[in-house]
Amino acid sequence: MATPTAPLLEVQGITKRFGGQPALQDVTMGLATGEVHAVAGENGAGKSTLMAILSGALRPDAGALLWEGRPVAFGDVRAAQALGISMVHQEPQLVASLSVAENVGLGRLPSRLGPLRVVDRGRLRGQALQALRLVRAELSPERRVDTLGVAERQLVAIARALHVGARLIILDEPTSSLSAAETESLFATLGALRQRGTAIVYISHRLEELRALADRVTVLRDGRVVTTVPVAETSNDALILAMSGRELAAVDAARDERPAGDVVLEVRGLTRRGRLHEVSLEVRAGEIVGLAGLVGAGRSRALRTVFGADRADRGEVRVLGAGGSGRRVGTLREAIAAGVGLVPEDRRSLGLVMTASVAENIGLVTPPGTRRLGLLRRRALREVARRAVEALRIKTRGLDAPVRTLSGGNQQKCVLGRWVGPESRVLLLDEPTRGVDVSAKAEIHRHLRELAGRGLAILVSSSELPELLALCDRIVVMRQGRVVGELPRARASAPELVRLATGTR
Amino acid sequence: MSEAATLPAPAVARATWWQRVGPLLGLALLCVVLAVASPHFLTVDNLLNVLRQSAINAILALGQLVVIVTAGIDLSIGSIVGLTIVLLAMMMRGGMASALACVLTVAAGAAVGLGNGLLLTRLKLPHPFISTLGTMNVARGAALLLAAGVPISGLPSGFRETVAGSAFGIPSPVVVAGALYLVGHLFLTRTVWGRDLYAIGGNREAARLCGIPVDRRLNLAYALSGGAAGLAAVVLAARMNSGFPLAGTGAELDAIAAVIVGGASFFGGVGTAGGTLIGALIIGFLRNGLNLLDVSAYWQMIVIGAVIVAAVCIDVLRQRVGREA
Repeated sequence: MATPTAPLLEVQGITKRFGGQPALQDVTMGLATGEVHAVAGENGAGKSTLMAILSGALRPDAGALLWEGRPVAFGDVRAAQALGISMVHQEPQLVASLSVAENVGLGRLPSRLGPLRVVDRGRLRGQALQALRLVRAELSPERRVDTLGVAERQLVAIARALHVGARLIILDEPTSSLSAAETESLFATLGALRQRGTAIVYISHRLEELRALADRVTVLRDGRVVTTVPVAETSNDALILAMSGRELAAVDAARDERPAGDVVLEVRGLTRRGRLHEVSLEVRAGEIVGLAGLVGAGRSRALRTVFGADRADRGEVRVLGAGGSGRRVGTLREAIAAGVGLVPEDRRSLGLVMTASVAENIGLVTPPGTRRLGLLRRRALREVARRAVEALRIKTRGLDAPVRTLSGGNQQKCVLGRWVGPESRVLLLDEPTRGVDVSAKAEIHRHLRELAGRGLAILVSSSELPELLALCDRIVVMRQGRVVGELPRARASAPELVRLATGTR
Repeated sequence: MSEAATLPAPAVARATWWQRVGPLLGLALLCVVLAVASPHFLTVDNLLNVLRQSAINAILALGQLVVIVTAGIDLSIGSIVGLTIVLLAMMMRGGMASALACVLTVAAGAAVGLGNGLLLTRLKLPHPFISTLGTMNVARGAALLLAAGVPISGLPSGFRETVAGSAFGIPSPVVVAGALYLVGHLFLTRTVWGRDLYAIGGNREAARLCGIPVDRRLNLAYALSGGAAGLAAVVLAARMNSGFPLAGTGAELDAIAAVIVGGASFFGGVGTAGGTLIGALIIGFLRNGLNLLDVSAYWQMIVIGAVIVAAVCIDVLRQRVGREA
């Protein structure tokens, strides 16, 4: 392990707000030449924002960045690159239809014949080979990138960063789609780069990886630095505690117990090749069940497959009637007819028709009684929308106001409003409070409890553990497309959930 | 909504209002200018003439609107006019009853349109520009083959007099187009199908997640567009007294222009039958007025091109205002 030497980059008191909500507060950390510095934290802790600031994609609201002791102001990726800072995204940003060499040299292709700027293929090939050697990749520079696997693409992206002259490389969860062997080979490459004096910022949830690779780790929580410690001097338990915080225990005590009714939603062995493996779970009437797991664990996929929006290769979903008779649902339309509703992950791209009004958005599912012989019963439809606006206290100028004029929280309530009619029996929610402010979040939680009180079976996926702990009767944990554990409320705690979700013992 | 009256309307509401009234104001302004510029403009004969001339483009534009609302495009309607007008002439020359021949012509147009839809929804072609560009060539080629490249003339006089004549002083094509717009307006605003088309154009994935059968609705939209082209062919056949295989060449572009000038958004989800009608009239009046003012055909093309670009500029500005709100 190389000893950290002179500071290469110092981050001093960085603060960044989005629409008043602080994403980072007073973040201070230092990076040394030849150091691998891990940044860890839960989803939403501020890791991505910090990385965006370091790579120049975002400008901080307050604080300073010192590069080799000199203050630098970025907020522009090219300026950061000129200094020698380069970011490799989780999904490598490459042009799939071009060759490896062209991708390595993208934006600075060597040329000859002066103003004719004919690409100098020989030199390009040489440069690419040199960069590929640095990352220890044995790839032909002529291969098209779309013929490469994920791990190879990752290496090409790192080679490009090195070719640009990066002295600091930021890697955002580079192993999230790599196999164990590929991960090991990547680590060997990163180790070699460290020997050359390249500084590496490494973002990951996976504690074993931090341990294997990093010299120091900085833990972020709620936009603040909790701690920066040498990896050798800390334990996994201490890191988990630092990531999840402890004060959450107070929140879950605040909920009242509700007796759960009969099973309404029954999922058996739901499988989708490469995505979901034998996912089984049940939700009872009046029960709120949480789905926990890291990003990419398959939570969204599970909800979408239960709803029928994505197809399953195997397995079945049943919505059980009052008399215990099971209605098997396979398609999205069958699911809706059986009283299942989905509030999807991203309301802008999946939930709302931005060109339409509040009433039109709520009425998009045309509940029974609002159509007759293909004609819309407009009055009935408006009545449905009006009731949803009232029940969920959606703040709008009126039913005909364009939905895009509403705040994020109220837009989200419009999506929820589609599924609160008397025919609803099962509600599936994917990150229902992402991007809404704190008070709207509390309000949405209250509405979900009311709906559960009415006897709906509710399944909520969230990457915020405090949200799940505050809301749910039971929490099902997923990892890599499988259900890996289930905790009743009494036994659920943030450290325990993180342990299950990351697979740490 | 009493509370709505007391609050100041936000920018988006103004944009929606402008979108509704803008094309109408444009048409009114155009008429005033033309009335002042030319003494021949504001006569009953001339106005009826413009309406008659605009009827075919208006019919095609309504079909095009249905597709554009879904964030699609139909380049094949001009060629469908050519194909179906030849079919119509052949059926009539073969002795089929005129009324039946007309119905079958519209059905044939709808069938070709359905083919466009199926190319998109079944074969999963990436964009309707491609599928309808293919159909555009195939349909035109089929029309020329069927007619052996020459017009089929000599249609029954009863058909001509009914479809190209007048009823109570109003040209029949105007009556046909007017009735179609009434039905089209009700279809788009009052039926589940019409409403679903707006939802699909506004956000296809959200529409799907709400249980809207997106593929079936898209098939319907393209079938309707093809059907409108078939109807346009019936009207055109009566006016021209023949089935000319090159009929309707370039008509898709005039129809798209009318839809866009009429305030529909090329991005889908926005557009009304009324606006499209006004768009078709603006283009019709513009042509007529420029003719009356003795402006050369070359300059007419330049003016109409400028009007289309100006209308789209307004659409873009409106989008920007909407985003900033």
